[in-house]
Amino acid sequence: MVLSLIHGLVLAFDVGVVREYLFKDIIVHAAMRTLWISVLAQALGVGFGIAAAVARNLKIPVASQAASIYVWFFRGTPLLLQLFFWFFVVPQNAPNDIEFGIFAIRHSWFVFSPFQAALIGLAVNEGAYMAEIVRAGIESIERGQMDASKALGMTNLQAMRLVILPQAVRVIVPPTGNEFIAMLKNSSLAAVISYNELLFVARGEWARNYKIMELVTVAGLWYLFFTSVFSVLQAELEARLRPEQERQGLMGILRRALTPPGDWTGSTGDRR
Amino acid sequence: MNGAMVRIEDVHKRFGRLEVLKGVSFDVARGEVVVILGPSGSGKSTLLRLISHLDDLDRGRIYVDGRLVGYEERGGKLKKLSDAQASLARADVGMVFQRFNLFPHLDALANVNCAPMHVRGISKRRALERGAELLKQVGLGDKLHAYPSQLSGGQQQRVAIARALAMDPKVMLFDEATSALDPELVGEVLEVMKLLARDGMTMLVVTHEMGFAREVADRVMLMDGGVVVESNTPAEFFDRPQHERTRSFLSKIL
Repeated sequence: MVLSLIHGLVLAFDVGVVREYLFKDIIVHAAMRTLWISVLAQALGVGFGIAAAVARNLKIPVASQAASIYVWFFRGTPLLLQLFFWFFVVPQNAPNDIEFGIFAIRHSWFVFSPFQAALIGLAVNEGAYMAEIVRAGIESIERGQMDASKALGMTNLQAMRLVILPQAVRVIVPPTGNEFIAMLKNSSLAAVISYNELLFVARGEWARNYKIMELVTVAGLWYLFFTSVFSVLQAELEARLRPEQERQGLMGILRRALTPPGDWTGSTGDRR
Repeated sequence: MNGAMVRIEDVHKRFGRLEVLKGVSFDVARGEVVVILGPSGSGKSTLLRLISHLDDLDRGRIYVDGRLVGYEERGGKLKKLSDAQASLARADVGMVFQRFNLFPHLDALANVNCAPMHVRGISKRRALERGAELLKQVGLGDKLHAYPSQLSGGQQQRVAIARALAMDPKVMLFDEATSALDPELVGEVLEVMKLLARDGMTMLVVTHEMGFAREVADRVMLMDGGVVVESNTPAEFFDRPQHERTRSFLSKIL
């Protein structure tokens, strides 16, 4: 039975359709929208995450509690629910226009396009996860670094910006790469609020021509392409963040390979 | 304030149930070098951390150059300074740590420059000149662009001293600055500290280096159990200790 199912799949699969759609404008544009919203949402998410982690680490009054509630809420509810929240619930419950003198609150500020709602939803959700990642990064830096910074007269925020975060980056980058890969895929959830990203557009096509298998394949290939390219970039970035004396690079590996076995310590011998 | 550079008045500090400082009071005059000896856990390091206001004190007052450290007094009550105000006050107190605590992502010169530029707002050019000059003074004129991981412990500690000096501190605190060093590297750091003392820097030095205490200190103190047991000139302290506790401490380490 399994065999006949596979047989049926193979027979029905039309490679020509895949070839036709893979680089079709409508799909390529949708793929680019997927990439674009993922990059934007990830960038914003990193920003929110740093802000929340720093507020909590420095115990800044009010901001610290707000950050805790933020992480608790947005990590504790499904992303899909959050997308519905921004797209449907917020505009429904937004206040009517209010004016006080030169200030005004407009109802239209709370009515989001699918793109806006998806971006806010993905970014705010991502920020909650990034807050935990950044917090782990900050906590990985030994306490003496903060002491030394403060003894030199730096404020807490200066110490964070100049000393702690630059060192924490090495710990933060690898899990952030995983987060971005997850973001590329999670952005497909924005289809439920009618943002025309890759999967939404693919679904629109198969609704017309019933070439479901082929269009799923096309979308899947694009996701795989993005995640593969990004994995390579991530590995390169991580290599660059390694401390200078541990850095190998192509030349380092070559030099090492060409060094006679007896002289192996030579490559690290200049450390002192 | 009678000209004392550092004035410590009835300072108390506890960590949970452990009372680490139980009422410490003394003055350090301008240009004076005070060496604090004592067994571990006697509260020496805690006292230094309070003087640079890295920790909050529970009772008492600490003044540096006549200014209350970390607090302001209003109607007899102490109120904590804001982070920005406290930071500014901390900049006047240089601190050298046992474990150096250099910034590993910055080279030697950037370690020295960082605070003058960002805290004091000194121009980059001026800070670079001054940083190079200070590193030369501590004998590291050829290591300006070395990263901490490329330097020996003694070199790292000398960078740390230059880094503290770059803020033009009114007083320098040394918290077991040579305890983490290989024995043959201790001398180069003590040498820099001696030069500083000779230049008239006010210094509070927690150390186990008796030779340094005898040779450089104006006054030697023994702390034990959170109080100052004995305080005297080096000659009197080492040759005619007054307290039994001092005698037993000295007999164990000399």
